[in-house]
Amino acid sequence: MNPRSFLSLTLAAALVACSPLNRPPTRELIELRGTPYDRGLQHGTQLKSKIRSFYTTLLTNSLFPYLSREQPDIASFLPEYANEKYQNGNFAYQLMLDSAKNIERSLGRATREELQGIADGSGLSYDQILVLNTFVDTVLAVRGVALAIRLARAPLIKSIEFVGAATDGVDNDSDGMIDEAGEGHFEPYVPEVFGTAVELSPTAAIRIVLTEVDGIEPSTVRLFLDNQLYTAGSPGLELTELSPTDLQVTLTPPQPLAMGITTTLVIGAGDKKLVELPPPARFSIMRDEEIAFTTRGAGVARRDLRRVALTDGRTRAPPVAIAVRRAMTAGGSPFIAHHFSLLDANTAYKHTVAIRHVPETGPAFVTIGWAGIVYGFAGMSERGVGYACNPSDTLDNSVVGSVLDQVADISKAKLIGKGMPIGFLGRRMLEQATDAASARDVIAAAERVYGWTCVTADATGGMEAIEVDSDIFNDGSKGNFPIASTELDLLGRRYASTSDDDFVLGSNFVKNVPDIASLNVAGQRIIPQRQWSGFFYRSRRAADGVKNRIEAARGTIDAEFLQALVGDPQFVDQSDSMNAVVLDFAKLEVRSAMGAVPATSVPFEVTEVRP
Amino acid sequence: MNRALLVMVLLVSTVSSAMETQVLPKNTFSFDFSYWRSSIDKQWNGDRKAISLIEDNRRYEPGAGLQGILRARPKAEFDFLFIQALYGITDRLTAGIYVPIVLRSQVSTNLSWEEGDFQSQLGRRYSEDDFWAWAGSLGQPRVPSKWEGGVKLSDIVLGVRYLLPEFEWMTTHHFRWATTLQVALPTGTNFDPEEAVSVGTNLWELHGAGDVEAHVSADKAFFVDEFGVNRLNIGADVFYAFFRPRQYTAGKGLKNPLLNNIAPYVGDTYTVDGGDWIAGTLSVDFAPFLGPTRASIVSGGDEKKANALPPMLTLSLSYTRVQTFQSDWQSQSPLWDYDREKNWQPGEKNIVRATATVSLLRVGLPLQVYARYQSGDLIPGRFSRPANIFSAGVRLIAKFW
Repeated sequence: MNPRSFLSLTLAAALVACSPLNRPPTRELIELRGTPYDRGLQHGTQLKSKIRSFYTTLLTNSLFPYLSREQPDIASFLPEYANEKYQNGNFAYQLMLDSAKNIERSLGRATREELQGIADGSGLSYDQILVLNTFVDTVLAVRGVALAIRLARAPLIKSIEFVGAATDGVDNDSDGMIDEAGEGHFEPYVPEVFGTAVELSPTAAIRIVLTEVDGIEPSTVRLFLDNQLYTAGSPGLELTELSPTDLQVTLTPPQPLAMGITTTLVIGAGDKKLVELPPPARFSIMRDEEIAFTTRGAGVARRDLRRVALTDGRTRAPPVAIAVRRAMTAGGSPFIAHHFSLLDANTAYKHTVAIRHVPETGPAFVTIGWAGIVYGFAGMSERGVGYACNPSDTLDNSVVGSVLDQVADISKAKLIGKGMPIGFLGRRMLEQATDAASARDVIAAAERVYGWTCVTADATGGMEAIEVDSDIFNDGSKGNFPIASTELDLLGRRYASTSDDDFVLGSNFVKNVPDIASLNVAGQRIIPQRQWSGFFYRSRRAADGVKNRIEAARGTIDAEFLQALVGDPQFVDQSDSMNAVVLDFAKLEVRSAMGAVPATSVPFEVTEVRP
Repeated sequence: MNRALLVMVLLVSTVSSAMETQVLPKNTFSFDFSYWRSSIDKQWNGDRKAISLIEDNRRYEPGAGLQGILRARPKAEFDFLFIQALYGITDRLTAGIYVPIVLRSQVSTNLSWEEGDFQSQLGRRYSEDDFWAWAGSLGQPRVPSKWEGGVKLSDIVLGVRYLLPEFEWMTTHHFRWATTLQVALPTGTNFDPEEAVSVGTNLWELHGAGDVEAHVSADKAFFVDEFGVNRLNIGADVFYAFFRPRQYTAGKGLKNPLLNNIAPYVGDTYTVDGGDWIAGTLSVDFAPFLGPTRASIVSGGDEKKANALPPMLTLSLSYTRVQTFQSDWQSQSPLWDYDREKNWQPGEKNIVRATATVSLLRVGLPLQVYARYQSGDLIPGRFSRPANIFSAGVRLIAKFW
């Protein structure tokens, strides 16, 4: 080799070695065309490595081990899960697969072919892809069951009394009567979707009775009010054991609260029995209960009370969906905005994907989701129909229903989902619906695995919302609770709107209340969402916060405003934010921020909805 | 008979110092035994800032947000025994073998914990103990605070050095040049993919030398006396180090299911094509004390020749700059590859060495003892892991025939 050639080769080698390191994208845009199988195959092939990585890091390494911790609790209730088939680390996968196989019956042939295509393209098995596409609803349902079992061991609020409210000469519950018997005394205590009391004296003591069969551990009592934390020994907090099971907690704020404010009292406590398994050891801790009220001078009726943001550092934002149109927006155009948060686990953000589906027949559509999953929790079709959905915890779900169906022989009962996961219904909306109403009807017409709240909209300004559960008791509702923006509840409140031209949906039910009757099944308490869901209060706060913001921006809302709104830290779960989407129906654009945690820490990118 | 005897003979002065062109006289052996104590506790980022060798591990509980951040500030320490044998094939060509043995490796993980989100089901945030209790229930054992490995062989290196013919002006000006080629044999080990803490002993993992290195070196001597002994030498060496791609087995989480289960998406094996190096060294050798001389077996009983033996004390200082190329991980997951590659981008190492050598050849003992300190973090680098090394050794010079 002559010196010149050697030099050239060396330089070439050095240049290659020094080429800049490019980070593989954490968000992808792929376009899928052809038959369902072809689209699945393209999906699986193009995102092969991400699908495998997503499945392993989210399910195998994170969710399955986590769910396996619940095995002893669940097996104590459902002995089938003590069987060999579910041992040796197989519990979670096998449970998910059992459920997925049952859900598969509700999926159409085209969907199954698409899943097969992804499996063939990615090298994962069909069962793994099926589990990947169905786990969300099943996990939510199983987690709901486990959480309800766990909370059944924790203290409950037996009563709350705003001392003196019954003699203060003020109507504290907006019922038109002043100082009627029991005013300001709530027993039994039922969590309120809206506010609990209004126009209370800023110096009034608050008396709470907590109850639990194992007794209340005084050292675990924790009250947070007006940015002040009260625990055992704090000035103004008095703890009195009324009985081995009941503890009376009386808070007399050392400093009067400000006049005319809306505030929240947060109550927490644990019992006296240390639970060792699954680790770590802890007392059974009740959910933080939030009592929203106003002090004298606020001039707000209970129906108009909006919860304020909490600053105790113990809460995270829930998923929230917003739809606006006409008088709410700058040009009258409709939009949906959505920030979805649920389960990032430090991995989902690396596997985000915007998929433009171009089927052989029917409209093209765009979904915002994750590698290997055929749907998103928001999307829009070429016909200008779009949706966004939030989970809404409920024990009126198909997994609980499956147990009830098998209650005659509980020893064989299993936790099995039934019906359609909401994501597949989203796909169906985009494939079939011609407007917001028909999109809503797609959801209403199907059996659902779990509880959800969804908003749909279309390019002509159509806008619908619906809350759904699985209606396991066949109560006549079919689990469908459509909401119109104009619709008022018995107190004259709009369920989920500030005007005729908007919807604000959090991750709780506002119309489907109570979502299920309280009862005992095989020794386990079944209770309504608002009494156990960890989303409930934070969802209420977030929804009220968004309402305040869009009300203030009425008539000026546009895509940029919505992007900023769903990126506002008040509405962003810093740990489990998964994606943020703004659907611009006039332009047929899907704007999405994803690929980072939180999703809105990176810019929105536009995906056109076109064939 | 004479050949069978161990006979000490006259040596050239180049044996004594860190000079870059030293070779052995024909038929001469040099046996070098040294102990090295090496420690490493940081890596340089792209801004020359010291960061931990391991990235923070953010731990999440599904649906319950951030449990906390597990931080490791590991410190790895190695005790090596290096055995080096050199042989002068001719007066200009020396061959050698270099056998590094890891006597002990120890890693202190120095774990700490930053609390994450409030966990409503616990009524508190996860403490570190809470986290490990939680992890234990998922089959993940607690990562030990200390890990110790036993005796293992590293990659054996074979080398040859050729002292290039000098032009006349070189001789006049005490200038020498040489070229060296060294090749490593794959006798070292990879780290254990199933262990939470483990170190490998191959050259790539130790990052101490390339699998193949080609050197060109030069020395210029100053203040050379009538016996050919110099008081000052300035040397330079440039080399290219090539790393061969290595195949690694991916962890399946058999022992650490939460930390090491990567095979399902990375693939059962992956390849690391370590970034090659281009490097240069500048060295200064100074002999402050020549020492007494006496005729001995080393000098063949000739006092005059004894005066040509290396100075009794030589102090050396050198600076090596290693320019590292991008390392390339090749697995089935580009994202996983990137997470490794981002810390192995093109960068550099800056190595400063100070060596003191005491040579007893002049007084009739064919021995040299030396001590060296090598600092990798005196001058910050980029995308590299600086090791600090103390070493001490003894060199025995021998001629058998």
